[in-house]
Amino acid sequence: MTKKMVFVDTSLCTGCRACSVACKAWNELPAEKNKLITSYQSQKGTTPKTWTYVSFHEKYENGKMKWLMFKHQCYHCEDPSCMKACSSKAISKTKSGYTVVDYDKCIGCGYCVANCPWGVPKVDKTTNKVRKCTGCIDRVENGLEPACVSTCQPGALSFGDRDQMLKKAKDRLAEVKKTHPKANLYGDQIMGGTTYLYLLLDDPDVYGVPASPAAPVSLTLWKDIIHPLGGIAAGVAGAAIVLGVVANAVRGNYSKRLEDNAGVESHIDGEGR
Amino acid sequence: MDTKTLGNKEVYRFSLIERISHGVHGVAFIVLLFTGLGVLLTGFQPAMKILGGIEVTRNIHRIGGAVAVVLVVVGFVLEPKFRGWITSSFKFGKDDFAYVKNFPVEFFGGHAPFPPQGKFNGGEKMNIALMFISCVIIAITGFIIWFPAVFPQWLVQWSYPAHSGFVLLLAAVFLMHFYLGVLHPDSNQALKGIFFGWVPAKFAREHYEEWFDEVAEEEPEKIKVVS
Repeated sequence: MTKKMVFVDTSLCTGCRACSVACKAWNELPAEKNKLITSYQSQKGTTPKTWTYVSFHEKYENGKMKWLMFKHQCYHCEDPSCMKACSSKAISKTKSGYTVVDYDKCIGCGYCVANCPWGVPKVDKTTNKVRKCTGCIDRVENGLEPACVSTCQPGALSFGDRDQMLKKAKDRLAEVKKTHPKANLYGDQIMGGTTYLYLLLDDPDVYGVPASPAAPVSLTLWKDIIHPLGGIAAGVAGAAIVLGVVANAVRGNYSKRLEDNAGVESHIDGEGR
Repeated sequence: MDTKTLGNKEVYRFSLIERISHGVHGVAFIVLLFTGLGVLLTGFQPAMKILGGIEVTRNIHRIGGAVAVVLVVVGFVLEPKFRGWITSSFKFGKDDFAYVKNFPVEFFGGHAPFPPQGKFNGGEKMNIALMFISCVIIAITGFIIWFPAVFPQWLVQWSYPAHSGFVLLLAAVFLMHFYLGVLHPDSNQALKGIFFGWVPAKFAREHYEEWFDEVAEEEPEKIKVVS
């Protein structure tokens, strides 16, 4: 399957949150009790049972209010930190560009949770498995659009082949820039390129997302330096021990000790060192 | 003191609390290393089945870690000498460096001269200091990893490399410690001491001259004649 992409055109989003509902319906995720966070926003972040939500941002400029909306879910990075952090090889990339979790392999350690730049995956306490947006891989690989895309009324979400969507996004950016000079594309330049690409009307930090997310330094240090070095250290220690035993055997130190022990009563050793 | 008369003597090297503490630490180290390896190496996960699966293993690792921390702290409270050793292990002097310099020769079964050593020689001091620093870091980071929601994200992120990095370091140190304590034909004379307290006096005098002479002078009751 060719690489897919979901284009999130926030300039068309009306904040209706139907995407959230469709996601819950298709993925059989129960509703959760929630409260008002800010503006019209009712969800603080993703949870094991809520994989996508809309954040609302009110910005005042020259006495006019800009009402900005941002649909959050897993970005399906090409080079995901969660996958690198996973100690159980439970997270993998599909050819279609999705980042998927194998629930059979997941042990719920939460390493991915701490290392995702957006904090998307969450461990479900009941099953002890990590849960996040699957990108509706089950629908996509059977020729359907993701649930959120299929329900989006204003057409803020569109789905298709990556190249096609990227072109559409760039065309749309040129168009929107005429009225919103700060408009930008968010996703194609970060984390190896994300499968969910955003057209934003303002800088990413206005939407409360990191402008240039990257794999944490601690993650690189951990997986690329400390683990290989630790393996070498243990290997060297093991080799030194084998050599030590061989060297002692060759020098006759083991048989000498046996003799010493046997003769401790009859000849009280007077040689010293 | 004359080494000629030491062949049939033993010296009391490790008290009961010292020996129990070493045992607790050793058993805890092996149990925690084994139960933690499944997370470090995916290929090791099937081995967790003998404990009843990854869920059980995780609980053993977490509760075992907490119990080990408590027991080690209790050992510290009961045996006031521990504190002195830890602080003295961080005071690395000329004689300690001289010992470490010649240590590789001893390691591979040779003999090289070294200055008289105290209760713990330069190499053992390194072992104690490394153990102490590493265990404190491993215990703290382990606690942070256990409750990631309570701590800031950067702290959790840095706890992962710190936890596994110091574990890997200690795994290498542990292999060395096992070799010197069990497999090395000269230094494994101390093995008896860590189980029963008494070690051959001749061995003690050769390896820890300063300490042995001090014991002979101040606590002669700690040296006994064996048949």
